[in-house]
This record gives sequence, structure tokens and C-alpha cells, in this order.
Amino acid sequence: MNFIFTEDQIQFKDAIKSFLTDECTPKSIREGWEAKQSFNPDRWQSLLELGVLNSNLPEAKGGLGMDQVTLALMIEEMGYAGLPEPVAEQTFLVNDLMALFPNSIRHAIEEIYDAGTKYISIAHPLAPNPLFVKDSVGLILFDNSECKFIAKNDMDFEIISSNDPSREIYKINSMENTISSSESFKELNSAISERGALMTAALLIGLAQKMLDLSSAYVRDRNQFGKPIGSFQAVKHMLADVAVRIEFAKPAVYRAAFSLSENNPKSALHCAHAKFMCSKAAELACKNSIQAHGAMGYTWEMDLHIYMRKAWSMMACWGNEDNQQDIIYKTLSSSSEELGVLYTF
Amino acid sequence: MKINFTNEQNAFRNEVRAWLGSNVPKTPLLSLDTKEGFEQHREWERTLNKGNWSMVTWPKEYGGRGLDLIQWLIFEEEYYRADAPTRVNQNGVFLLGPTLMEFGTHEQKSKFLNAMATGDHIWAQGWSEPGAGSDMAAIRTTAVLEGDHYKINGQKTWSSRATYADWTFGLFRTDLNSERHRGLSFILVPLDLPGITVRPIPQLDGEPGFAEIYFDDVEVPIENLLGGDGEGWKIAMATAGFERGLMLRSPARFQQTAAKLLELYLTKQDHCSPMIQAKIVEAWAQSESYALSIYHTASKMLAGGSIGSESSLGKIFWSELDHMMHQTALKILGASAELSQESQDDAARWIKGFMFSYAGPIYAGTNEIQKNIIAERLLGLPR
Repeated sequence: MNFIFTEDQIQFKDAIKSFLTDECTPKSIREGWEAKQSFNPDRWQSLLELGVLNSNLPEAKGGLGMDQVTLALMIEEMGYAGLPEPVAEQTFLVNDLMALFPNSIRHAIEEIYDAGTKYISIAHPLAPNPLFVKDSVGLILFDNSECKFIAKNDMDFEIISSNDPSREIYKINSMENTISSSESFKELNSAISERGALMTAALLIGLAQKMLDLSSAYVRDRNQFGKPIGSFQAVKHMLADVAVRIEFAKPAVYRAAFSLSENNPKSALHCAHAKFMCSKAAELACKNSIQAHGAMGYTWEMDLHIYMRKAWSMMACWGNEDNQQDIIYKTLSSSSEELGVLYTF
Repeated sequence: MKINFTNEQNAFRNEVRAWLGSNVPKTPLLSLDTKEGFEQHREWERTLNKGNWSMVTWPKEYGGRGLDLIQWLIFEEEYYRADAPTRVNQNGVFLLGPTLMEFGTHEQKSKFLNAMATGDHIWAQGWSEPGAGSDMAAIRTTAVLEGDHYKINGQKTWSSRATYADWTFGLFRTDLNSERHRGLSFILVPLDLPGITVRPIPQLDGEPGFAEIYFDDVEVPIENLLGGDGEGWKIAMATAGFERGLMLRSPARFQQTAAKLLELYLTKQDHCSPMIQAKIVEAWAQSESYALSIYHTASKMLAGGSIGSESSLGKIFWSELDHMMHQTALKILGASAELSQESQDDAARWIKGFMFSYAGPIYAGTNEIQKNIIAERLLGLPR
């Protein structure tokens, strides 16, 4: 039992954090919004050169064989920075599932995505609007019974408007030359649902921390009644409540990631737990952060909403709090052995 | 990061389980806040000590087993699983014990830790005063050094367990010209000394769980000073950290409550609305998160880290969780929730716990004070 990170894990986390601090600023995110091109090919290229994009592919496939815990730590930082590029999606939902995709689909992906360096979008009933299709080389589409792959040139698609301008989402009008398979669909579908929940949980915890940090800085700076508003207990307590929520959501993310890395049969419960806790933390972070900013929090000018909008999307996609609650309850009520002091690890 | 138990840890768990299985009293003890119940619980402390289970993390020479925090968490999990009696000496073993370990002299450690382990010294807390509650630095009870002893005058209040306990520890003003947190000292006081009057205070549940302690020219030998004269505040902060943090409220307690809540719900769900189901999930999710977080903290401490203001985060989390779980239980119980804790109904246990759960956000530093600490020390907001 050792619930702390290795030096390697911390180094990867620090490396991506330092890259994103420089390269993924609020200014650069807003430039993407204005140009209606939030997928920045230069930043994608830099992330590729940093080894992030294919980090979790096996070494034989050109990657670093990175485990899910390290990946989750890095994704937390992508949330913190509000990174628009779908790096979390590509690593957690494509690379991490490569061994599980049916052969026909895996071959099609491998042929086209150049060892994880070209982007492939995903559509799934839990997140039905694929991201950045224009910038992709293809689409993996899940419906209720099978998995499909479609090359970008075989689709007719159009952009639809998202409440988060950093997330360019699309609908697919028609497709041809589709490769379909229902082989081991149930297993594959569980695997992607669990990873979707965990990925959004990790992003949310980063986003919640960013909102808390922005709010703490704002209330230290803003004066009313002749002193910083952060000296008033009503304001302090609001932000302290957010800090409490974040503190107790984080370890749920790391545990769920560890469960995936160990193929723990309870990984579905653990991923649902992570998303449940992180959704609640992020929800309170949104509410209390905007309140701490006062009217400024309700403006387009203040950077807070860059992160709040992404948090709203991440709460909604890949199973919201209500869906996760359902998953947890079904597990708990079907076998009381799942719960209690002896079943945490 | 590798969060599985080792074979050695599993073997330890089995050893604890086997011992508790054959030693935990088959019928529940009387309440520890009654005279008879207190002595029953003292007897249980003696039994624990015979098995060498008083405090597994203490060095062997002081009655412990020299084990680490992870093994202590395992012990606690088994302890709650076995429904073993509440530790009447929790002020001693969980709060004063670690403080003595850090600040005590060798003589103090041998004397007090061993007596704590055997159940000969049951400890009460002596922090608050009528004018010093959340504002603990306003302490006015004085301890004046006269030769080889301190002469204590003043009053402590809300002293948990003081009604029947043997000793109390707390902060006293040893420098009469000092103000606030300077000039305070941490002193250990036997409650049977001349000049001490203990007045029980009936709690919300009707039992004398805490008391007022009056000191009238009470003479305490200088050997009972813990740490240096005037260093009391620093030492008290360490003790408070233990209290808020993983020592006093190990996660097993809340996980066990969550498990029992689920059990209760599954037998009565036909009478409940979907709102209750949401609360059941929250109870499980939060107690699970608390456990994960504590294992995370324990691992950090084992790797040489220390626990600071972070313990304030946990104190808010567990106390709100505990109250939410008991509120939910009472909703499931329906009209039985109006029965008293003395009733023979299964509801009685929940009702007692429900009342006690109102104390959680108050004791060990109110949650409002914890939020100030979080805001100022962790988020960097101005005082």
C-alpha cells in the first residue's frame, strides 16, 4: 500500500504543467475562439514532440507505455489549463483502447492515425457530438450495438454550436465506406464508458482547481469597504467549501485510474465514483467562483468563464452526476459486499 | 503508486480480526458517559492492552507494537467491522499519546503512555474556558510557578470525559503578563488533586459526557509540564491537528456508518422516495473518498511528509458527512425517529448517533474556524 506518486509520475505532471502554462494561456484560447479554430495545429505538434500524444501507446507501437495513473495526472493539468485540443480524448479513449477494438477497426485506425500522432474523433451515446471533426483523420462511432470507423473523407459533417467555444462539435449528416463490428462490443463499450467518466473527472478536478485559484487571486485583490473582500468570512467560507470538495474528489480519480491499470473488476464503480465526486466539486467551484467575482464573474471579459464553460461540458458528457449515481446505486444494491470498510482497496 | 495491501498487511488484518472475534464483548457495553459504563469501557481498555492492541503505532517499550500508520488504519477497519466498544480513552491514546511522543521527555513517555495503555489513566481534554471557546488564545486560567510546582486557578469547560476521567491535559497561562497565544503552557493535571471540583454538564443526550473543571489553588508538580514553559500553543496546535486529522476520526468509522445506512435502506426502501437513494449513494461516495484521502495522507506521512492545515479540510468533510448520514437514517426510520435513544427499538442507535452528529461540526474547532484556517493558510486570503 503506497498511495503516493512516483518521481516519474510527478515529473510528467510537472513537464506538461510547465508547457501548458506557457503555451495554453487564456489569450491563446481566446484567439482560437475568435478565429473559430480552437484546434491549434502548432500546439498539437508541440504536444506530439513532447511525447504526450502517444505516451500511453505500447513501446512497440512508438509510445512510452504510460500507465493510467500518470495519464490521469497529466489530464488534470490539461483541465487546469483549459487545453482546447482533444489530447485527453485521443490518449484515454483511443490509444488506451487500442487492444480492445475489434481487429478490423484497429487496423483501420492504425493505418490512418500514424502511431497516435493524427487525431481521431469519437462519438458515443454518452458524448454524441464528436469534437474537431474537421481537424481529424477519422471518426470512431459507437451506437447501442456496434462500433464503427469512418475515414474523414467518407463523411459529410457540419459544425454545431457548443456553449464552450473551445469545443468545436459536429454532427455527421452522412457517411460511407463504414467499417463496423459488434465483436466484444459489451466489453469495449464498458471500457470506453469507464474511461470517459474518468477522463472527464480528471479534467474537472483541474478545472475546479483553476477556478478556485482565479477566485482566490481575485478576492485578495478586489477592495470594498476599504479592505480586500477576501478578508470577509462570508467570502472565505465560500472558497473554503470548494477547497474541501476538491480535496476529497482528487484521490477518487487516482484510485479509479489505478483500478483501470490493474484491470480491477470494480473499475466501473471506481470510475463512476470519481466522476460523481468531481462533478460535485466542479459544480460548487462554478457557483462559488462566479459569486466570489461578483458582477465581473458574469462578464465575457473575465477569464473565469473559459474554464467554467469547459466544466459545464465535462459535467454533461460521458455520464453526468445523475448517471454516475445510478451506476453506483446499482452496484451497491446488487451486492452489499461492495460497500464497507473492507472493500476500498 | 501501488494501492494494494501486501501479504504482510493482509496477514496483520487476519490477526486483528481473529483477536477481536474472540474478545469483543458479545453484548454492547453501557454508555461510556455513565459511571458504570465508564468502568466497563475502562475494563475493555485493559483487555485491549492484554492483547497488546492499545495503540499499535506506539513503540513496544510504551505498550505499542511499533507498527506504521497503514497498519493502524487496517486495525481501525477491523475494529469498526467488529463493532468493538468506543475507546473511552480516545483523548489519551489518539490525542495526548502522539503529542507526548513528539514533545514528552523519556520519563513522561514511560509514565503516561504505559498508564494510558493499561487503562489506569483515562484522559479528559481541558482546552475551552467560559471566555475562550473558538478563541482559544483568550485562555485565562493561570498556572503560577512556585518552586517545584505550578499553582493553578481558574476554570475549564466542555471537558470531554472529565466527569469520570482520572487526568486532564490542557493549556494554562503561566506568564501572567502575556497576551493571546504567548505565555501559555501545556500541563498534565490529575483530577483527584485537592482544590479541583468537577461539575458534570448534562449533554443534549442527557448524559454527562463533558464537564466544568474548577481549579482553586491546585498544586501540580513541575514534572507535569509538557514541552517548555510558554510553548503550550505550539504543542496544542499539534494535538489539535491529530484531533481533526486521521487519528481521532479514522475513515472506518464513517464507512461502517455508510454500510449500516445502506443495510437500513435496503430493508425499508419500499417506504422511501428516490431522494433517499441519492443520499445513500452520497454517503457511500463520501465515506469512500474520505478513506482514500486518509490512505493518501498516511502514505505521504510515511514518506516523510507532515500534516498541517490540511487536517481542517478533513474535519469539515467528516463532520458534515456524519450528520448527513444520520439525518438520512432518521428519514428512513419514519415515525420511529421520534423514539428516544433508550428505547429497545433498532432505531435507538441511529437516534443517539444523530444527536451526537450535531456535535461534530462544533468540537475539535468549529467548522467555521476550520474554514478560516483553510482560507488563510491554504488559499492565502488575508486575515
